Parts: sequence; structure tokens; C-alpha cells
Amino acid sequence: MKKVLLSIFALCLSLTGYAQETGSVLIKDGTVITITNGNKADTDVLIEDGIITKIGKDLSAPRGVETVDASGKYVMPGIIDAHSHIAAVDVNEWTNPVTAEVSMEESINPNDINIYWALAGGVTSIHLMHGSANVIGGQNETLKLRYGTGMDEMRFDGAPRTIKFALGENPTRVHGQGFNVKPRTRMGVEQVIRDNFDAAQDYKKNRQAYLAAKEAYENGERKNPPVPVAKNERMEVLVDILEGDIWVHTHSYRADEIMMLMRVFNDYGIENFTFQHANEAFKVAPELKKNNAYTSVFADWWAYKFEVYYSTAYNASILNANGVKNSINSDSGELIRHLNHEAAKAVHYGNTSKQDALKMITINPATQLGIDDKVGSIEEGKHGDVAIWSGHPLSIYSTAEATYIDGKKYFDRSEDPNDMRLETNPETDFEETDKRWYNENGRHGKTCLQGAKIRFTKKGMKYKSN
Amino acid sequence: MKLARITVLCIALLMVFSLQVRSQSSPAEAFENVTIHTADGNTIESGTIVWRNGVITDVGKNVSIPFDAYVRDGGDSLHVYPGFIDGLAQWGSPDVPDVDTPERPGDPGYKRAGIQPQRRPASLMKAGADALTKAPKHGFTAAGLGLKGQMLPGQVDLFFIQGNKTKDNVLKSGIGVLAQFEEAQGQAYPSTTMGVMSEFRQLFHDAKALNQQEHYFASVSSNYPAPEENKTLEALYPVMDQEQPFYFVADSKENIERMFWLQDELEFNAVLISGKEAYKKADELKERNIPVLASIDLPEEPEWRASQKEEGEEKEKEKPAEEVQEVTEEMRKFRERQQEAYKAYVQNINKLIEAGVKVGYASNGLDLSDIHKNLKTLQEEGNLSGKQILKMFTQSTADVLGYGQKLGDLEEGRIANFTVFTKSFLDDETEAQYSVSNGQIMEFESSK
Amino acid sequence: MSKHADIIMKYFKSILSACLLVLFVGMSAEAQITEKAEYGKFAITNATIHTVTNGVIENGTVLIDGKKIVGVGQDVEIGSDYEKIDASGKHVYPGFMDAGTQLGLQEIGAVDVTNDQAELGEFNPHVRAFTAINPSSVSIPVTRVNGVTHVISMPVSGRLAGKATLIDLYGYSPDSMAVSPDAAIHLNWPTSKKGGWWDDRSKEEVKKDYKKNIKELNDFWSKAEFYDKMVTAYEKNPDDKQKPDADKKMQAMQEVVNGKVPVIISVDAKQDILNAIEWTQKHPDARFILAGVQDGWRVADEIAEAGLPCLVSTLYTPERDYDNYQRPYQNPGKLHEAGVKVAIATGGVENVRNAPYHAGFAANYGLGKEEALKAITINSAEIFGVGDKLGSIEEGKQANLFIADGDPFEPMNHITQVFISGNKIPMVSRHTQLYQEYLDRGPQKNNK
Repeated sequence: MKKVLLSIFALCLSLTGYAQETGSVLIKDGTVITITNGNKADTDVLIEDGIITKIGKDLSAPRGVETVDASGKYVMPGIIDAHSHIAAVDVNEWTNPVTAEVSMEESINPNDINIYWALAGGVTSIHLMHGSANVIGGQNETLKLRYGTGMDEMRFDGAPRTIKFALGENPTRVHGQGFNVKPRTRMGVEQVIRDNFDAAQDYKKNRQAYLAAKEAYENGERKNPPVPVAKNERMEVLVDILEGDIWVHTHSYRADEIMMLMRVFNDYGIENFTFQHANEAFKVAPELKKNNAYTSVFADWWAYKFEVYYSTAYNASILNANGVKNSINSDSGELIRHLNHEAAKAVHYGNTSKQDALKMITINPATQLGIDDKVGSIEEGKHGDVAIWSGHPLSIYSTAEATYIDGKKYFDRSEDPNDMRLETNPETDFEETDKRWYNENGRHGKTCLQGAKIRFTKKGMKYKSN
Repeated sequence: MKLARITVLCIALLMVFSLQVRSQSSPAEAFENVTIHTADGNTIESGTIVWRNGVITDVGKNVSIPFDAYVRDGGDSLHVYPGFIDGLAQWGSPDVPDVDTPERPGDPGYKRAGIQPQRRPASLMKAGADALTKAPKHGFTAAGLGLKGQMLPGQVDLFFIQGNKTKDNVLKSGIGVLAQFEEAQGQAYPSTTMGVMSEFRQLFHDAKALNQQEHYFASVSSNYPAPEENKTLEALYPVMDQEQPFYFVADSKENIERMFWLQDELEFNAVLISGKEAYKKADELKERNIPVLASIDLPEEPEWRASQKEEGEEKEKEKPAEEVQEVTEEMRKFRERQQEAYKAYVQNINKLIEAGVKVGYASNGLDLSDIHKNLKTLQEEGNLSGKQILKMFTQSTADVLGYGQKLGDLEEGRIANFTVFTKSFLDDETEAQYSVSNGQIMEFESSK
Repeated sequence: MSKHADIIMKYFKSILSACLLVLFVGMSAEAQITEKAEYGKFAITNATIHTVTNGVIENGTVLIDGKKIVGVGQDVEIGSDYEKIDASGKHVYPGFMDAGTQLGLQEIGAVDVTNDQAELGEFNPHVRAFTAINPSSVSIPVTRVNGVTHVISMPVSGRLAGKATLIDLYGYSPDSMAVSPDAAIHLNWPTSKKGGWWDDRSKEEVKKDYKKNIKELNDFWSKAEFYDKMVTAYEKNPDDKQKPDADKKMQAMQEVVNGKVPVIISVDAKQDILNAIEWTQKHPDARFILAGVQDGWRVADEIAEAGLPCLVSTLYTPERDYDNYQRPYQNPGKLHEAGVKVAIATGGVENVRNAPYHAGFAANYGLGKEEALKAITINSAEIFGVGDKLGSIEEGKQANLFIADGDPFEPMNHITQVFISGNKIPMVSRHTQLYQEYLDRGPQKNNK
């Protein structure tokens, strides 16, 4: 009676309706890949109420805590994808070169089946990013893949705010070529950023002056009332960037544009930033290192557009060898299913050590998202976000067998029903699907320009889940 | 179907009406020997209903009919129901025109962005619209009418539905401001739900600042710049001051939650329109005291299910071999879930009522001709009784619209809004014979 | 800082074998792309040889003379004129083949003018991928240094997209690369299914479109059969017959309808697969191969019974939302289990180099390593009628093979040397060149 199993499972999922939902489990005798403290053979990991409380040998389970045998297996921190567009309603508010005011926080689709499929690949957290159509795009949202809860419950509590910037072909194509609106060139991209930062500084000054004058007027300390300066959603966010409250993740490819942005950031005192994709980051690795910039790259994607033509799959290894903190991301509903193998490609291309390759999908993305004090490694005091693997996670012959978030099991291969949808559309028929198996335009899956691309090729079409 | 024809009953009656405006008291009218159904589902057999000046003056079994009343005898075969109220319909709304890409898609201007809260159905309505003519034949005597559009299409005006005279029969202007998570058309900001969310916030900030400036300007004698007039933002003041609710269209659980987020931040009163998945947020809707004007636009019944039913009726009929599909175990499970989802949508309203949410009705674009079929489904599979449906279509909707004392039921003192059907309103054969809206009577030709 | 230098040194050591070559390359500035392969007599010794067709030979030798393999085994005598390549601790595999790509037809996805895989028109049996293969595509060296030595490259647009070509990945012209210039014709099977969320056709429209598409295909095919019959009859005995008019499309179809060139049918959904099978059975003279076949596991028995080989991949998301997450990985295994001959086809362009990992997933999810190895070597060769030349390490076959430091399905392992048709391929591509140049880039020019 799989059906019964499924409904029980669905029920369990539906009962977990809040972020505080945590679990306890003792995972025994596995090879624990701590990431920050080497591999530990035959070691136990105890998670209590969502937190890793003990790592050691021969631990015994407190009363009521389930024990899981992981002998012969590997226990690894949950994989963190620093660039994802699964679990999204809309991805790109692509109509303006600057849309800092919008936030993926308000574009979460908690029912996306891709969430479960990612869990089945040992992923526990994603950086749900805005698309790359705009120079300054929307804010991103860091999520835990608590499948079966809701939008609010999926948020990663305490993760810093982040925002998407985008350089190069996408913004110049969408706005410059598409709309005849600046920027049409990489020169213009720089000026759009500087103009908006300047405007934000002016806004802050004027808004504060107004609020002060208003107070003074109301207190009778000022004779004439001030002319109101309305609160501005976009400018508020830009001000927060300038003040360091929002970390910047920039879609970028070419070395020159990476250099440009670092100059701009230095001029405005912005310190916390990661270059996303950054296919040519390897060319300026020493400069990135010098500026304490992070990178988050594809394992091997290239040649789907001109600005990634002069790329190399050795990018991650070169960056790593030059001391740049790098992560490997998916930007895809497909790659996210096996990011462990994407990381293994850093060993294939350039002999990055296995340990460093694993860091690129755990602690390094955690650092880039500002959640490295909570996840990304197996350490006492960190969140119980772990996966049990049948073998070494970098091997193609290994599979994730169970995935835990906050000590609660969200995926178990041994009891994995076929249909894991949370929502079913009564109007969708069995077998109502049609897609071509071959690569139709260079890339698969849910990617960056999702919204914009579709709009350009199929006008009026748009992903919507209302 | 033939259009309803308004019949002038007799010259005398016409003269009476023409006097109505001037005279304090015009002659009364009445139906006698009719079955009267009240909103709570009770019936009065062989009853009489009397109205004068647009107001019901008497309802009951042993009612004395005034001497000056024009009386119609129902011959104990007609059924009188309180007039149905559509909480939000788009009848008579001009269609959304095709648009080009604006010069700056990121700053398309209010109109192009779909931000027009100041628009009034009363002034834009197409008086001769088909739906307005048909609505009374479906039992509707009053409706909140809104305009087609995007995030802020305009005001909701409450009308007496009187065919092509509807336009001039506004009961109340601006009972609410229509709002929805609807992006700007084509290539313009906002093009996403998150963009719409930001835009709502920004509009409130801007309205607040303008409002402030207007106050300052009014309060100081000189040396202060005059605020620029802005009808769009000014139309939002009553919403900000919670004098006027947003009639907020949302269907998915997530969009309803998004509405809650906005409500928490911007502090407006809300009526949820449509709410196809509102049952998932029933408790919170109740907690927030948000009533729902629910859609009965149900999902299409899965094909296999509908055909199974048919087959049950006519088993003999053989299907061509190519259309007989083997039902695999996988398919069976899929169908089970599909059916569950279908039922959940169909039972939405019942669950809301059970949770104690106030539920009225809104067509919000549903075609009049689909109502009857969907009501049948709600009765058969939606756990709704005929009584509950009647109440939802009458008193409950009136309550949500703030007219619970005036509309929605048949009792002395209420506005004379009712429909006379040939049979019970849920009967497949029923037809409206008369519609009375604000005391004005229309008679329809039978289609038989 | 010194720590980094250490790391860098370590890397240099570990790739020492490639370094000599690379240093040379470094000196010759940017001329690497045209660096020539070596050609002659090679003896790969002390290797674990995965012959595919004759098991695994430990500590064996492979002799290459010119284009061909001239010796395989443990006790092979090595002539003094053979250049020895010591492969102790290493493995030798036949070159991998990706049985469905667009490699050489597309250079940069988003730059339209570099896209030659999609000609206009619905029926293009006469257009040939062979014509447009760019031997200098930067993607070609990138692919071959990962052990993929052969690909089917195919046009993709319209109903009959054109002829696919089977090429090896080393050469200066399509002619020198072609193993079989017109290896197959590519047919996009008309789907009877609705597309994704963007497909707003009604069910009726979908049905109508399907019928129309099938009819067009059948008409075209019948016309081609008729044309072939006429031409054949004329050629047999021209007397009293009028010569059929020249018709490029019909001429191109002759070798298809008479089975000389197989048809690759791209088809994914279950019902479509069944429809396609039924269709192929109406054309017993032609040969068919299914490709994509994402729902294949659902109808594996039917495919096996029809005797159709399948070109499949594994790294895609499940066809349907309600599919188990492992289905794409399991599909090749389940097809094989039912008795279907499967071959790996990624459908890719610039990342055809990942074909071994598609096979690796298939191996891990039911197909097993041995069968997965066949699926990316001998099976593809046999499906396209070149099993006597490619796909295994046997005496007399073309010398297409590579040396790896471990299981090539493991991304952590490395391919150290590739041979294509006896050519010892420089293990260089844009990706390795950029690595060499930038790994230890050193300070900027102005800091010298």
C-alpha cells in the first residue's frame, strides 16, 4: 500500500508547517566528512532538536532519539547551492535596468517538485536568486529546502540579505538592444551602477533631512513645514547595499567586467561580494584574491553565448589554487540534482583535492551566503543539515540515501514514493507533457534568464503559478 | 437564447412610475399566491410580497394588500427569491485594449502599469453589455461591478442590475478598490508578482507623502509649494485610512499569504475576491476578519471521471478500440490524486463556511451561463446545501458588501430586490419570469 | 603565500606527463589549435585493456599501426619500430561515442550566425549535417580529450530535420572526419501531447494538430515510396517509361524508405512512443532508431518487442512532475532489462564531453558498468552499422581508444591519452591552454 505510505508521508510533511520544526537523530558509525576538520572514520553524529550536539565514537542515543546505522557510508553536510532558480514563481523583473526593490522572498513557490528532487541529491539549502536581466536586479532569498512547508517556513533564518547584480550581455541585450534603454554596452553598465549609487546617497541625505525637519516642525522647533520626500523602495535597498547590510552577488563572465565592478565597489566602500558564474574569473584570480572577492562558478558550462566562449572548465581549480574562495553552483534544476559530481569535476579539471572540491559545495557557498556559522560543515553547534551517502560523495557510483534538515528527515531513498508532488492541478491530465530530449538552445532547465528569454522568443508567454 | 425583453405591462403602470419621482408615495405593487423563499432557506407557501417606492412593505402568508397596489397572482406556481447579488462582476466593463511596449518599460506611467484606482465603473460601463441584460434572468438584482485591468483596475461600484438601465442605477459608489496580483500587460513594469508587491508599497509611500504635503499646504498660509494634483494616489487615501477596503483578488494559498503580508505592512481592510484555494488559509482569514467573495469557477472535471459517469449511464455503448486505454496502476494513483485535488477545489466554500469565514459570491469573470452547472456540482460534491448556496448568493454577499440590512433577504423594510422563478432556483427547468430591482420590475418572455 | 606556491607545484607535478607538450605549446604562442597529432606505430603496454567485446585484459598491450589496431593481448610481440607508451596502472578503453549531438554544427548557442543545426522548412531530407560540420569548432578538442572520439551530429528542426552524420573528432575537413557521412535521417515525431505551461491550445486543437502532422508525414513518406518505386522501375528497364523528374527531396528519401539509411525518431512521451512504434511497423523496408525516449521505461517491453534500439541519456529532469526522481537515471537500465539495445546520446553541443557521466549514471542505476560501457561504445557503432570498425579494442578495428588513470565514468579520474583513427591526439584544448596560461599567471604587466 504505497498509497498509504504516501499519504502518511504527505501528512507528516504537512504537519511540519513552521520553521521551528526540528528533529533529533543519532547517525552511527559513518565516515563523517566534517569539511572543516577532516574525515573521521566510524564516527557518530548526534543531532538534537535540529542542532548537532555531539560528534564522536560510541555515542548513545538519548531517550526517544532514533538511531540510524551509517556503517560503510559517508555522512556529509547538506549541499548548498549558491545559485538556484528552483522553487520560484517569477525569476526576472526584467523591465527596468535597476529593480533593487523586488525580492525573491516574495516569489517563492514552495510546491515546486524540483525542491524534492534537489533533496534527493543531498542538497539542503539554496540561494534563490533573481534573474540576470538587470544591472541591479532584485534581492535574493536563502532558503532551506523544507519541502512540504510554506513560503515563510522555507526561509533560512538569520541569513544576511543578498542582491543580484548582472553585467555584460544579459542586461545590455535586454535593455540596450531590446528596449533602447541604457545600458547597451559594458561602459553603460558601469555608469548605471554609479548613477544609482549616487542617487541612493542623495536620497538618503534628502530623506533624512526631511524626517528631521518634519520632527522639528511637529515639535514646534521649525516654522515652516518641509516638503515631504517619500520613502522609496528602490533607493532604500540601494542605501542598504552601500551601508553593507546587503551582500552583492553579481552575474558576470568577463575578466574586464569583474575588474570594473571591483573598482566601483572599492570607490563606494562595498566589501562583501561574490561573482556568480564568473567564467573568466580565472584570468583575474590574483585581483579577486586581493579584493577578498568570492566566486561561484559552473563546473563546466561554456560556449552557450559569446561571453563564455573563452572559458575553461579549469576555472574552479585555478581560482582555488590562487586562494580565491570559490563555490560550484547549479543555476539549473538538473545540475542541482548532482552537485556532488559537479564538484568532482574540479578534481577532473585541474586536480583540486577532494577535500577542497567538497568545500566548494558546502562551507564555501555557506561563507558566500553568510551562513557559515550555521551550516556548511559538520561541527558541534551547527544545524543538523546533513546527508548520508552510500559511498564517497564525489564518486558517480554514490547516491544520497537520506537528507536531513534541522535533524528532520526530508528525503529517504528507502521509502521514496513515486509521486512526491505537494500540489496537483486537477486540470492536468496524465501524460500531458511534451519536451524534446536534445539540447535546443545550449542550456537546459531553470536558469537565469528564464523570464526574459521566454519573453523575447515567445512574446506574451510567461511562467505563472497563480 | 433569446434576450430578455422588458415588457411594459400597462399604460397605467407606466404613468404610476412616471409620477414616482415627484410624489411622496407612489402606488404599491404585489405578488400573491407565490412561494416565498427567504435567505435562511425557509419558505412561505401561498405568500404575498408587497413593495412600494422600492422598499418591501410586507411579506408573509396573511398579508393585507393595500388598495392602491397593482397585484400579480402567482397562482401558487411561482417562486420568489431574494435577488442574487454578485459581489464582484465585470459586467459591462470595457475590454483591456492592446498595448505597445512603452518607451521606457521600467517607468511606463500609472495607466500603462495598470494602476488606475480612480476609475469608476459607473462612468466607463458599456450600458448595452450583454451580461447586464442577461444577469437579471439569472436572478441577479444587484452587483458590485469592477473593471477589467491589472493591479489596480479601479473602484468597485454597487449597482442595481436593471439591464441597460443599470448604468444609471448606482446604489453606492466605491464600496471598495479593486486590487490584484496582476502584472502590467506585455513589456512593462511591474512584470512579476514581486514587482507588483513592490509597486503596492511604493504607491502607499507616495500617497502618504502627497497626503502629508496637502495637509501642510492647507495648514500654512504662504511660502509652501502647492502639491501637484494626483488623482491616482488620492484614490488610495480612503484605503490607507481604512474607510474603503481593497477588494483583493487572489486564488493560490501563496498569493493569499502575499496579500496578508501587504496587509500587515500597509494596514488596509480587505475583502478577498475569488479565493479558489482560500480553504487552505481559512483560519487566518477568520482571524483577520477578512470575508471572502468566493468564486464558483470550478476546475473542469477530469475527463476520465466525467466519462466514467457517462459510461455508468449507458454501458451498452461501445467505444472504438483505439480510445480504450488500459488503466495502469500508476495512472490509477495519478487519478486518485487528481480527484482529491478536484474535490478540494469543489469543497473550498464549504470549508470556509465551516471555519466561520463570511462567504459571499463573486463571479469575477465567470460566465453567467456556467453558474447553474457549477452550482449543481457544488451541491453534489461540494458539501453545500441548497440553503447554503441561497444564503451565499443573497444575505451573505450583502453582508460582505456592507448592505446586509438593506439587501439580501425578503422582509419588511428591505430594498425590493427579488426574482420570480417558475421553479426552485436550482431546478434545471427553472426560468426567471420577473426580476424586481430597487422596486423596478422587468418581465421576461419564456424561452419555451 | 608559500602554501599556495606549494599547491601549485603539486599540481604541476601531477600533470607532469602533459607538461612537456604544454611547455612546447606555451612557446609557440597561440598556435595550439593547429598542433598536429602524431601518426605511426604505437605500443601501449602494461595496461588494463577493456576490450568491450572480449573482456578485460590485465597487463596487456595494444599495438597501433597507422589507422588500425594490429595487436591486442598479454603476449603481443612489440616491434622495435613501435613507440612505447607505458600505461602501468592505467586503463585502455575504446573511444567513446555520443550517438546524438549537434557538435560541429553550433559554435556559440546564443550567436545565431554560428548555429547551423536548424534549417527552415518542415521536410528537409536533403539537407546534410555533413555539409556544415566545422572541423575547427573549439568544442571538438574539448570533447575528444575527455575520451569521446566519435559523435552522431544531427540537424534538429522541423519534422524531417535532415541527415545526421557520423564523424570522428579529429580532422581538417568533414570528409576526413566522416565515418559515415549520411548515417541517419532525423525525424521529430509529431506529438499528440500538450506542451508545457506555455501551450495554450485546447485539447481539441492538440488532437487536430497531431492528426494534421501525422497526415503530412504519411503523405510525404508515401510520396517518397512511390518515387522510389518509379525510379527503381525506370532504372531496371527504361523502355516505355518516362523518367521521373529529378526531385532532391525525393531522391534523398530513396535510401531512407528502402532502409539503407536508418531513421532516428526523436520521441519522448509514452503514447507518442507507442504511436511511433505502430507507425514504424507500417514501413517494414525502412530501419528505425528511437531517440530521447524519456518515457521509455514505461513501455520498455513494447519497444523491445518491436526490436527498436534506443539512443538515451540520463542527466535530465524527470519527464513528468509525478515521476520518481531516479527515472531518468534508470531509463537505460530498464530498457536494457527488457531487451532493448541502448546507446548513450547526450543531445548536447559544447558539453558532449559529459557523455561518460551520462553512462556512469546509467551504470549506477541499473544498467551496470559493463553494459553502460557497451552503451557508449559498441552498441552505438552497431546501431549505425559500423560495428566492424568502431566500438571495441580488437585487432583489425580502427585505432580509436584512450588511456585513463581509472574508471572514465568517474569524474574524478583523468584521460591521459586519446587515439583517433591511429592519430595520437595532442591532449590540448582551449580549456587546457587557458589553464596552463593562467594557473600561475603571475603579477600584472605594469608590476614587472
